Amino acid sequence: MTSYFSPSFLAVFLPVAVLAYQAVPRRARWAVLLAASYAFFWALSGWLVVFVVASTAIVWGVGRALGAESSRRALALAEPGADRRAVRQRWQGRMRLTLAAGVVANLAILWALKYAGPLASFAASLGVSVGEPPSVGLPIGISFYTLQAVSYLVDVYRGAVVADANPARLALFLAFFPQIMEGPICRYAQTAQALWEGSPVTARGLFSGSARMLWGLAKRMVVADRLNSFVRPVFDDPAAYDGCVIAVAAVLYTLQLYCDFSGTMDLAVGMGRIFGVGLPENFRQPFFSRTAAEFWQRWHVTLGAWLKDYVFYPVSLSAPVRRLTGAARRALGGRVGPAVASGVALLAVWLANGLWHGAGTQYLLFGLYYFAVIWLGALVAPASEALCARLGVSRDGALWRGLQHARTLVVVLVGELIFRSASAAQGVELLGRAALGFRAASLADGTVLAVGMDAADFAAVAVFAALLLVVGALRERGARPLDAVWRRGPVARGALCCALLVGVVVFGAYGAGYVPVDPMYASF
Amino acid sequence: MDAILDILDELRPGAAFAGRTDLVDSRELDSLTIIALVAELEDVFDVVVPAVEIVPENFNSPEGIWALVCRLRAQDL
Repeated sequence: MTSYFSPSFLAVFLPVAVLAYQAVPRRARWAVLLAASYAFFWALSGWLVVFVVASTAIVWGVGRALGAESSRRALALAEPGADRRAVRQRWQGRMRLTLAAGVVANLAILWALKYAGPLASFAASLGVSVGEPPSVGLPIGISFYTLQAVSYLVDVYRGAVVADANPARLALFLAFFPQIMEGPICRYAQTAQALWEGSPVTARGLFSGSARMLWGLAKRMVVADRLNSFVRPVFDDPAAYDGCVIAVAAVLYTLQLYCDFSGTMDLAVGMGRIFGVGLPENFRQPFFSRTAAEFWQRWHVTLGAWLKDYVFYPVSLSAPVRRLTGAARRALGGRVGPAVASGVALLAVWLANGLWHGAGTQYLLFGLYYFAVIWLGALVAPASEALCARLGVSRDGALWRGLQHARTLVVVLVGELIFRSASAAQGVELLGRAALGFRAASLADGTVLAVGMDAADFAAVAVFAALLLVVGALRERGARPLDAVWRRGPVARGALCCALLVGVVVFGAYGAGYVPVDPMYASF
Repeated sequence: MDAILDILDELRPGAAFAGRTDLVDSRELDSLTIIALVAELEDVFDVVVPAVEIVPENFNSPEGIWALVCRLRAQDL
């Protein structure tokens, strides 16, 4: 068993977990979920499970300490004649230290396991010897559960949630197996209680969850695995291909990443539904976005929300940035001034976003690229709106919207080309070749078809991409296809699940000639 | 309350704000606009808006924003 897509997971592990969950009394269901979660973690990462146990212990202890300090602060504030401002400041200092200890401890584990090795190698390549750290491997999902751990601590510090006295509930919140590999990144208030309650498996949850999982399986096996035959050879040896093939590879990789990651999220959300737990959505039709900023509100939604709540706002509202914002407002006005000052917080967000994916220079460039695009977009927005108003151009007209969609798509394709490259230098080189060495003739002379996918593969991908577009358009209009099928009765439900299953079996890219793609976000 | 609507109109000219209850959920107010709004609120009403208060419930409607301002002013007393 290596992922959610392993036959042993889908045919054995998950059904056994569901049956065991349903078979035991409600009050014991959390124990089944926790045991299944640690068994899954052990199957994928072995003894590295000690790191998730360590993070859980730290988070539980620090959370309790924050809760105790919060209670003592409340008592101090309630004392007659207390100087409330002084009391608040004194306790804020103490609680910040406690919070910092918990956050630093978690980030230190992440740093040691994920970043220390690559950075030592990078330093060595520059001729600087910092000593090779011991390599123990990377526990599955460490980047995801660490963000959940930090968000829990900050939420307790802020008083948004009450510190949990129950370490088992916290352990389940951090390690719940449907989301441990690739997210979504959940908040304690979103899932901890629902996981603990042990809601029974219902017919509706089983249908809705299974259909969602089959849809994700189709995205992954029909599209992502099939596109691997084209994307992998091109990015493994880009020097062997011309600019046109690289441009096509950038387009296909973007589609592959979307189908792989959002397909995995479909499985996660589907499994959650079976267990009666509503996991947050991570994708909301991202290719319908009109701006890069909107794209990131629709793509990997829970990472964007995490960075907004725990990086962007705290940095924006820190004392130095508040002063900068004030000065910029006085100099440039109430709209442009804050946009200029927000560059500081946006830079922090995008550096964090890029480096969260890994220590490679391509991720650094990826973050800086989106920082530049989104910050410039914010800076020119007032002038752009004024110009449109002066020229009488409707910003909600079909032409303007179409131009915005096309521009955003190009921005995203460039970003994914950088992201998939082996280094920042290679990303820049490939961008140059895709833009300057593009020969349209390669599309028609058989060059593209010689890479690894034949015409039938392209046709299968095109048909499924069209289906994704139709479903996305329906969801944009508020449709809920699974609810509609549920209302039509058992025959319609069975027909949908059978159709999805047959679609995966008939059109899935597996067997001789295909190499399934490794779950892309699992390595982050 | 009118001051809140004036500030919103200045930050997002042409958008309709009165009676809305989905300003954050509909992405009418994005994070950059919220930071600009917070700067205006702090300046006009002499309050300090902490990061913990930046949640959709406080910014989804002009009434919610006004309630936040009133609460922060009361806390400072």
